[in-house]
Amino acid sequence: MGIPLALVVTPLIYAVILICADIVSFFQPVPPAFWTRADEVARFGMVAFNRVLNHQPADPQSLVIGAAVMLLPGMLLSISLWLGMNALLRNAGVGGALLALKAREPNPSDLKELRLSDVVQEMAIAAGIPAPRVMLIDAPGANAAAIGTSPADARIIVSRRLIDDLSRDELEGALAHLIASIGNGDLRIAFRVAAIFESCGLLVAMINSPFGSQSRRTLWRLLRYGLAGSSKDAGAQEADAVAEILSRSALMGTDDIDRLLSPGKKSAFRSLLTFILFPIFMTNATIKMSLWFFSFSILGPSVALLWRTRQYLADASAVQLTRNPDGLASSLQKMSDDPGAIPGGDWASHLFIVAPGKAGSAESAMPSPREQQILAQAWAASAQPAGAPVAAAQPPADFRAILPQVMALHRSAFMGDPQAAARIRALSQAAAALDPAIASMIPDPADLVAARNGDRAAMARLAAITRQFKAHEQAQSPAPQRSGSEESSGLSSISSLSPHPSLKRRLKRLDRMGAHAEIAATDRKAWMVGAVIGLIFAPFLLLIAAGLLFLIAIFTLTSLTFLVIWVAVLHKILTLIPHH
Amino acid sequence: MNISPELIAIVVVAVFVIWAVAAYNGLIAMRTRVQNGWAEIDVQLKRRHDLIPNLVESVRGYMQHERETLEAVTQARTQAMAAPAGNIQQRSDAEGALSGALGKLFAVAENYPQLRAVESVQMLQEQLTSTENRIAYARQFYNDEVMKYNTAQSTFPRNMFAGLFGFAPATMFSASDSDRAPVQVKI
Repeated sequence: MGIPLALVVTPLIYAVILICADIVSFFQPVPPAFWTRADEVARFGMVAFNRVLNHQPADPQSLVIGAAVMLLPGMLLSISLWLGMNALLRNAGVGGALLALKAREPNPSDLKELRLSDVVQEMAIAAGIPAPRVMLIDAPGANAAAIGTSPADARIIVSRRLIDDLSRDELEGALAHLIASIGNGDLRIAFRVAAIFESCGLLVAMINSPFGSQSRRTLWRLLRYGLAGSSKDAGAQEADAVAEILSRSALMGTDDIDRLLSPGKKSAFRSLLTFILFPIFMTNATIKMSLWFFSFSILGPSVALLWRTRQYLADASAVQLTRNPDGLASSLQKMSDDPGAIPGGDWASHLFIVAPGKAGSAESAMPSPREQQILAQAWAASAQPAGAPVAAAQPPADFRAILPQVMALHRSAFMGDPQAAARIRALSQAAAALDPAIASMIPDPADLVAARNGDRAAMARLAAITRQFKAHEQAQSPAPQRSGSEESSGLSSISSLSPHPSLKRRLKRLDRMGAHAEIAATDRKAWMVGAVIGLIFAPFLLLIAAGLLFLIAIFTLTSLTFLVIWVAVLHKILTLIPHH
Repeated sequence: MNISPELIAIVVVAVFVIWAVAAYNGLIAMRTRVQNGWAEIDVQLKRRHDLIPNLVESVRGYMQHERETLEAVTQARTQAMAAPAGNIQQRSDAEGALSGALGKLFAVAENYPQLRAVESVQMLQEQLTSTENRIAYARQFYNDEVMKYNTAQSTFPRNMFAGLFGFAPATMFSASDSDRAPVQVKI
C-alpha cells in the first residue's frame, strides 16, 4: 500500500511546508534560494507526473529523481511514524492489556492452578528460556495466549476453563506451543505488525485532526502519553487504549468529517469552510480508502499467512519440546470443538492458540429463568433427607448462589467421592420429579466415574452439560467491555483471511509428526462445489478489485489536483496582502 | 586496477580471522548453554531432594506397613545427595536409583485410597510430579545442547582447532537401568 499512500501524503507535506514558508515570509522574507529550490523540486515532480499521465518521454535520471520527489517524503513519514509507534508502545509493555482481560495471578493453593504454573515452568525448562509469568482469566472460552512485546516481558494468559478441561499431557502440549512461540520470537513480529496498523491510524488521526474533536483528543492523549513516558500501570493502560483507538481509526475512521459535511447544520460559514477545506477532505477520503483496500486485500492476508506459518512452526517446536504430538493434537481438538469468547481479548485474537469464538455465542446455552428456578428448588429439596416432601417450607435458594456449590460437588464426585455422587443422584431425582427435561442438565454420577477412567462417550456427555453451566457462570459476572470497543480491532478483523490455520491442516501436520489424531476425511463433493463456485465468482472478484483500484487512482489524482489549486490560491492570497 | 598478491593474502587472512572468531564465539555460546543446562538439572535435583522429606513425613502415618519402601527412598536420597557434584556418571546413577525408589513408593501408595483424599498429599504429589518432569525436561535440554556442542566440535573444519582452544566433548546425562522404565507418579 506504500505507493498510493505515499503519493497522497507527499503533496500534503509539501503543501504544509509551502504554506509555512508563505506565512514565515509574511513576517520576514525567506531567502530566495528556498523558492528556487522548491521550484526545482516541483519541476522534477512534474517530469515523473507527465511521464505517467501524458506518456511524455523523459530521461531516466530525472524520472528517478522525480519519483523520489513524489514518493520519498510520504514514505519517510510513514516509516518514522511506524518507528515512533514501536518505540512508544514498547515502553508501555503489557500491563494495560492484562487489565483489559481482567487477568489474575494463579492461586498456588488450588491444585489445578498449581499444576498450570508447574507445567509452564517445565516447558520453559525444556525450551531453555526463562519462564514467563502466567496469568489466569475467567473467560467462557477454553483458550490460551502468549502476549507481550518481547520474550523478556512475555506473559502467558490461560483461561480457567482450559485447565479444567485438559489433561496434564494436553496442557503440556498447549503450553509448549505458547512457550515455543515465545522462544521463536513471534511476539516481536506480532508487535511490529500491530504497530503498522497503528501508525496508519495515527496518520488518519493527524489528517482528521483539523476537523474532528475525537481525532484531536486521540492525538492529545498520545502526545501526553509520549511526553510523560511513564511505565506505571495507568500509563500502560493509557497506551493500550490509544493503540486500540488508533488501530480502529485506521479502518473505520472517526466520522468527524462526515459530521462536518452533514446537511443538518449548514450555515454560510460552514459551507465556506467546507469549500475551502475540500482538498483536505479528498485527501483524507483517499487515504482511508487506499488504507482499507490494501490492508484488507493485500497487507492483511499476507500478514495472516505469515502468522499461520509461525503457528505451524510453534506447533512443530512444541512437539520437539514435549516429544508428544498426541497431547498437542488432542488439546487443539478440544479447544477448537468449543472455542468460547474471550471478553476484552478481541485485539489479541491472533495471539491465541485457536481462534476465540464470537462473544455472545455462549449465551444461548444458558439455562432459562424457569429452569434455574426448578434447579434451585430441586437443590433445596435434595438437601433434605430422602422421603421429605418436595414442597418444603423453606424458600428455594437463588440459583446463582448455589451454582458454585453444585460445581464443587461435581468436582468432588469426579475425584471419586461417593457422598458427592449420592448427593448428585438425589438432586437429579428431585429435578426429575419437578420437570424431567431439566434432570437431563444434571450429569449422571456414573458418567463422572466413567469419564475419570477415560470413557470418551461419558466425557462428551459431561462436556455438553458443563458448557451450559459454564455459560451461566460467565453470564452472572460479565466482564465489562472496554469503552467504545464495539468493533473488534484485532488482526483478524483487518484481514480477509483468518490468522489461524484450520484445525484440519494443523492436525495433518501433527499426524506427520506421529500424532494419532482423527482427521475428518475431506468431503469430495463439498470441495467440488466450492471449487466451481470459486471459479464462477473469481472473475467478478477480480473485476471488483480492479474497479476499486481504479477508483483509488481517480481519487488520488483528483485530490492531487485540488491540493495544487488550493496551495496556489493560498500562496496568491498571501502574496497579495501587502507587507514589507 | 590490478590485484596485487599482497591484497589477496590480506583478504584471505581477514576472511579466515573473521571465520575463526565466529566459530570460536559459537562454540563458547554452545558451551555456556551446556553449562546452563547442567545447572538447571542441578537445581531441579536439589528441589527433589528438598521435597522428599516432606513427602515421606506426610505419608508415613498412612503407610505404617511400608517402612521398607520409605526407608529405601530416604536411603536413595542420602546417596544421591552424597554423590560427587563433578562426576556426571555417578550422579546420574544415584539419581536414577532415587527415581526408582520413588516410583516404587508411588506404586505402593496406589493401595492406600485414603491418601488420595488428603489435599496436602495431593499438592505434594503434584509438586513431585512436576519435579520429575522438570528433571526429565532439563535433562532433555541438556542432552540436546550437548549433542549440538559435540557435533559442532567434531565436524570439519572446527575439529582442527577445537582441541587447541580447550574445547572438550561434554558428557550426556544418560538414563541408568533402574531409570529406564517411566515412573508412574499417580496416587
